[in-house]
Amino acid sequence: MAEVEHKGKKFEVDEDGFLAGGLDVWEPDWIDYVKTIEGIEELNDEHWKCIHFLQDYYRTHGIAPMVRIFSKVTGYKLKHIYELFPSGPGKGACKMAGLPKPTGCV
Amino acid sequence: MSLGKFGHYNPDKPMQGRVTDVGPRYYGEMFPDIIIRNYGKWLYHEILEPGVLVHVSETGEKVYTVRAGGCRFMTVEHVREICDIADKYCDGCVRFTTRNCIEWLVDSEEKAKALKEDVGSRKHVGGSLKFPVGGTGAGITNIVHTQGWLHCHTPAIDASGVVKSVMDELYEYFIEMKLPAKLRVSLACCLNMCGAVHCSDIAILGYHRKPPIIDDEVIDKVCELPLVVAACPLGAITIAKTEVKGVKVNTVKVKEERCMFCGNCYTMCMATPLADKEGDCIVLLAGGKISNRLSPPKFSKVVVPALPSNPPRWPEVSATIKRMVEAYAKDARKYERLGDWAERIGWERFFEKCELPFTEHLIDDYRLAYDTYRTTTQFKFTEAAWAVSKAVGGI
Repeated sequence: MAEVEHKGKKFEVDEDGFLAGGLDVWEPDWIDYVKTIEGIEELNDEHWKCIHFLQDYYRTHGIAPMVRIFSKVTGYKLKHIYELFPSGPGKGACKMAGLPKPTGCV
Repeated sequence: MSLGKFGHYNPDKPMQGRVTDVGPRYYGEMFPDIIIRNYGKWLYHEILEPGVLVHVSETGEKVYTVRAGGCRFMTVEHVREICDIADKYCDGCVRFTTRNCIEWLVDSEEKAKALKEDVGSRKHVGGSLKFPVGGTGAGITNIVHTQGWLHCHTPAIDASGVVKSVMDELYEYFIEMKLPAKLRVSLACCLNMCGAVHCSDIAILGYHRKPPIIDDEVIDKVCELPLVVAACPLGAITIAKTEVKGVKVNTVKVKEERCMFCGNCYTMCMATPLADKEGDCIVLLAGGKISNRLSPPKFSKVVVPALPSNPPRWPEVSATIKRMVEAYAKDARKYERLGDWAERIGWERFFEKCELPFTEHLIDDYRLAYDTYRTTTQFKFTEAAWAVSKAVGGI
């Protein structure tokens, strides 16, 4: 596994840049790093609402939510989620939240 | 694209000048003029010779199509050569078929002859033909196949290599039209069956024969465990707790006697790999089709449970397929697809004529299996059936 360094902090990541240690090793500095590669300038409340929801859902259910659940609970349409996270809910939001990399035929 | 009219791509501002949702180019833009003039006006067509078709329009114009085999995985250099040929003969137009053959369209028979002569003689350095002309009518055209060891992470076998070996063996059927009906061969390198294996006359399928190995150390960090459990069609996977280096971790447990090695769990979770050099093998299926001609579409059925995966030439696979094709070619009636033939003579006769052993692996045991058993006394005695009878002291 590769390691990335951001402002003196080191994170272990896989080849797609997802946090290798998962939610256990997640910390707010990780978000600070991911937003630089995702093209997000500053996180607003809506970003945080998404990230907190993803993390809560993952802790409760052990999986990332389906897009429709994500959309319904946060109240953001898919289009708006893409505006918040340009890479989308999987590659963008889940990566920031420290969830495992989406799998299957993606 | 970064150098186009919207300027350089700027990694600091990735959304700046971004073009999106423009879709593919409108297909009509690439039509040759003769196709535009006769679009929707075709009267009839003929196959002049293997690999050459003519379509006649109500305006009186004729379009000649020269079809050549393609290897599907192509270099840019190879595509440029295809374009050079298109520039020379077809005003820069060329098309690919749904089975990844290449078709050049010209407006006269002389041009088609010259084109066939030219492309048919081009060879790679190793001696194989670059554009073998054929693939029409009642023969065997290109093999629809997948990624294999070239690019995928779940394959049980290779794709390109097996396809090359099998097509070398079946080449005579590609350049001639001597079968009772068309015969479609497909390959998929795992049970995901990307492509057409489930509905082809003969299908080659990669298969595992060992259960996954669970990587307890990382599984909970990199996988969503409920998805792994739900991925199993047989309910063989359950959530479990275990201890790794003194730390309690969540993991999954596989009931090995329930596992049929489909590999779905590995698709969902990289910590459950199951590829194995000796275990991975090739399954052959037969008798599927997708057209509605004469009989409804059919699924292909497993006829050979396991052949060894022997790179680089897979001799057992090519030989078995050739045997099936020859038995079909000799015995089937005109217009009869392989599945129609097998159903008419009965599958017990199919196994006898193709000299394939029938084993317990071929008997369906998945959920709706009952309908696939014989619930009638109508059957034909075969040599294999007599052998069983003799072995137990019968007639």
